Amino acid sequence: MRLGMVIDLKRCIGCYGCQIACKAEHGTPPGVFYARVLKREEGQYPNVKQFSLPVLCNHCEEPPCVDVCPTGASFKWSDGIVDIDHDKCVGCRACMMACPYNNRYFNDGNQNYFGDAGSTPFERARAARHPTGVVMKCNFCRDRVRAGKMPACVANCPTVARHFGDLDDPNSEVSRLIKERGGFNLHPEAGTKPSVYYLPA
Amino acid sequence: MNIIESDVTRATADDTWLKSSCSLCYGTCSILAHRVDGVVIKVEGNPDSAVGKGRLCGKGVGGLMTHYDPHRLRVPLHRTNPRKGFNEDPGWKQISWDEALDEIAAHLRRIRAEDPRKLVVQRTTTVTASRAPSQAFVAAFGTPNFSTAGGGLHCGNGAHVISGVMHASWSVVPDFEYCNYAIYFGASKGHAAGHASCSNMGKAADARFRGMKMVVVDPFCNFAAAKATEWVPLRVGTDAALALAMCNVMVNELKIYDTPYLQAKTNAPYLIGPDQLYIRDPKTQAPLVWDQESGTARPFTAVPSARMALRGSFTVNGVVGRPAFALLGEHLKKYTPERTEEITTVPAANIRRLAGEFAREARVGSTIVIDGVTLPYRPVAAIAFRGSQGHMNSVYNFLAVDLLNQLVGAADVVGSCLGFNPTCYGHPDTKLPYYVPKADADGLMVTGMWMGYHYPYPTNKPRMPSKQLGLQDVFTMGMTSPFLNSTDQEMLWEKFDVPYRPEMLINYGANLLMSIGNKDVVAESLLKYKFIVSFDLFLTETSVLADIVLPDCSYLQSVDSRSNFPFIFSLPAGLGEWCWPIRQAVVPPDGEQRRYADVLLELADRAGFRADLNAAYNATYDLQSPFRLEGDRKYSFDEICDADLRSHFGQERGLDWFKQHGLIKWPKKPEEVYWRPFVDVRVPIYWEFLKPLGEQIAAITEPRGLKIPRHYYQPLPDWIGCPSHACDAPGFDFYAFYYRDIIHTNSFTMENPWLDEAARLDPFSYTIAMNRASAEKRGLKHGALVWVETEKRRKVKGRLAVTEGIHPEGLGIAALAGHWGDGMPIAKGKGVFFNELLEVDWEHSSPVNLNLDLCVKVRVTAVETGQ
Repeated sequence: MRLGMVIDLKRCIGCYGCQIACKAEHGTPPGVFYARVLKREEGQYPNVKQFSLPVLCNHCEEPPCVDVCPTGASFKWSDGIVDIDHDKCVGCRACMMACPYNNRYFNDGNQNYFGDAGSTPFERARAARHPTGVVMKCNFCRDRVRAGKMPACVANCPTVARHFGDLDDPNSEVSRLIKERGGFNLHPEAGTKPSVYYLPA
Repeated sequence: MNIIESDVTRATADDTWLKSSCSLCYGTCSILAHRVDGVVIKVEGNPDSAVGKGRLCGKGVGGLMTHYDPHRLRVPLHRTNPRKGFNEDPGWKQISWDEALDEIAAHLRRIRAEDPRKLVVQRTTTVTASRAPSQAFVAAFGTPNFSTAGGGLHCGNGAHVISGVMHASWSVVPDFEYCNYAIYFGASKGHAAGHASCSNMGKAADARFRGMKMVVVDPFCNFAAAKATEWVPLRVGTDAALALAMCNVMVNELKIYDTPYLQAKTNAPYLIGPDQLYIRDPKTQAPLVWDQESGTARPFTAVPSARMALRGSFTVNGVVGRPAFALLGEHLKKYTPERTEEITTVPAANIRRLAGEFAREARVGSTIVIDGVTLPYRPVAAIAFRGSQGHMNSVYNFLAVDLLNQLVGAADVVGSCLGFNPTCYGHPDTKLPYYVPKADADGLMVTGMWMGYHYPYPTNKPRMPSKQLGLQDVFTMGMTSPFLNSTDQEMLWEKFDVPYRPEMLINYGANLLMSIGNKDVVAESLLKYKFIVSFDLFLTETSVLADIVLPDCSYLQSVDSRSNFPFIFSLPAGLGEWCWPIRQAVVPPDGEQRRYADVLLELADRAGFRADLNAAYNATYDLQSPFRLEGDRKYSFDEICDADLRSHFGQERGLDWFKQHGLIKWPKKPEEVYWRPFVDVRVPIYWEFLKPLGEQIAAITEPRGLKIPRHYYQPLPDWIGCPSHACDAPGFDFYAFYYRDIIHTNSFTMENPWLDEAARLDPFSYTIAMNRASAEKRGLKHGALVWVETEKRRKVKGRLAVTEGIHPEGLGIAALAGHWGDGMPIAKGKGVFFNELLEVDWEHSSPVNLNLDLCVKVRVTAVETGQ
């Protein structure tokens, strides 16, 4: 089994629903994004296109972050999810240097979104999950997936642009979409074999 | 005392999902709120609901950060400094609810005894749940001065009124399931904000995937244009010219139009006399048509529609009459693609091509079978909204775009431009709610459902003296009015003999200082009030000017029996399900927060008009016996919601049933969704009533020195330039406009730190978008700090975002950023406050529907060091 995600750029409208749904699910501190949306434009007036590109950890089949981790904190589950064991992470950030996609974040201290006004009841309910001095990233909502749910960004996407499933199963929806629609990875030249695929806009 | 005793108590150990409704924008999607040990730890979409279908936009899924914002108001506040102004410290003092309510009720009692019209009530558009309680309150109190201020003035005096006249609904959208070709004029439906926004995002994505071609006419390539098959940039505010040129190509060059539709469903065959009015039957007063078979003029009711002439010239009762359609065809001839290119900058060849694509894809004459019902099939839709209608010429801009639909019969049939749910035959058990458009004596459509008491058509007769401060008694097509806050309001009130002056304002959640126009102008109007009460979540720039500020409950602490009703507003259009969700409290109020609707009931009790308020709720909620409220009995708002639900869905389905189930739904019938062939009504392609209306208005205003420009009141639409199009001052060479960002709702969500964080990462949310070549020509660089300045010397400062995706003359700014108050510290100082540039006066208001002009010609210069 190799869990992976397919993001349909034809359906995506860049609403930031995935980015915020992830914030709501994980209560990540300011500046830490397990999911985020990049925007760019191509062409010259008037023949111009605006693109939104949702990004997250690519859960690479050959993850350089795991290779460089000196403590074994970064690891890969048998289902392909790349994860971090925060008990083992010493915050050296070698994995952040190794990740070709800049999808890892360092939590350098207790932060909340309202600064001096203090943390919210929501943040206090979620704070326990996030030790400081460690690296954080997307783990495909492992708790949700184990409970039989879709990752939060997939379940929430208003345009149904995100799909999740087993890339090893040729009959899964994700495999079918990749095959039928010409799914591609970001920066394949990095050679890490990402498990996140995109469908053309 | 019927103020909140919350039915939700803090549990010591709970883990519950509650079914409720979002309120981060007026889309009001259905949600599931996950509460653990008294804390809401997640909000998700409710997959059981047709509203959002289990998915939420960034705002909705981020609503927790608004709810738990530590800057929310928690106690009633009273100002101690009587002086009000931007530089005055109100000297807030905490008071008890009893003190606050007594003081407010004393003002209400006095004003109601003197002249109830001295009370003005304003509400935000964001919280749909505030509409019915506010409406009932003002009706009971006896004031006509009720306004939707958070954006109503900007979003739709044209869009909503004309959607009402032409589609019997608040707004229009393509039939995403079947449409093959949609052309948007300054609209983002399905790609950002708006009615049923999140639901439409999914529907539009399905349509895109299915292969619907999407053409977006807009000065800025964002949201809808970013996903379009083709972006058509045009000069700001010239949409009507483009739409009329396309109509001209269709009628006069291609000769593609839907003759049977025009004959049966519009006033195209009505004979028009030399006076531009209908030629009427002397006996019945019914408009006449020319019966091609008998060769006579007969009342429209007496001739099968297929025999009605659309062309020609006929002598009737001694005058020459011509079918309205013939006049339209000739009127359109002046909008040649070549002339229109000069106005819009859209190349003439493209105008011809777009018109041809639209007309041919309409497949005039075709039908389709859905659920066993044979229906007309017109898979094209021309859609306008805030962008194109946000101008002085908003009536014609919107009408011109809708003419594209009307010409080919693409109105409320399969694949076409749809109103949001104009016809509903009700739940199978109760046949409620039930509403269907109907015809007036002239055969023209009167909507079956509306958001207010007064329908958009037929228009009221203008009258004096004006009872309403917004002068809608005179300008009867004005829905909301700038004159509640304009610089010239006193002059206008004097002119129109308004026999009183406003003394008290009750504001619910609207940040008027930001939502209307220049803040100094709006502030000046607010400082004239003797007493202002503001219900708010935060101490906004506007609430700072209040005398008493009341801490409101958030959407997670409130109750509403009708989150998405009227269905013409925010229930998704097209096939699917009727869906009536509710809102229930998920957590109790924090501190001394109280629910708005309950406080209004308490105020009515204290001011002594509870019986009137009960009666008003009976009307507002259309309560049926035995659920009607009686006498002056002190119902709680929960009880009123319970009555509303039982009245509509049966004795067994009260508030408790709905709290458990979250919503009730039932399938839509094809005859409801595609109602147009089944309902015998016509819509005006020729606005015959407009000219007499203009004359009636002029008869009132002109003796008082206010000239009515008659070219706004002609029966056939024209492109009329804005003041910005007439500005030729050297250096003022950009048309600045604002647009609604996908991540923000009005000024309110700027305080939400997750949304703020996304907006800070976005290239445009907090910047000023300028075309790359235009910037280079002026030596301005990406990221430069610039001044944007109007001829009237109003100016704002912001960072430039240089892009290829904007018209060279356009300057795009996301709406309602740039808070300056301390009450919303996350929002403070972020982005650019566009509305600062807007004048609020007669000169910048549509003389037809009072729509404020929202584009402005500006000069852009680099900020010098130290400025």
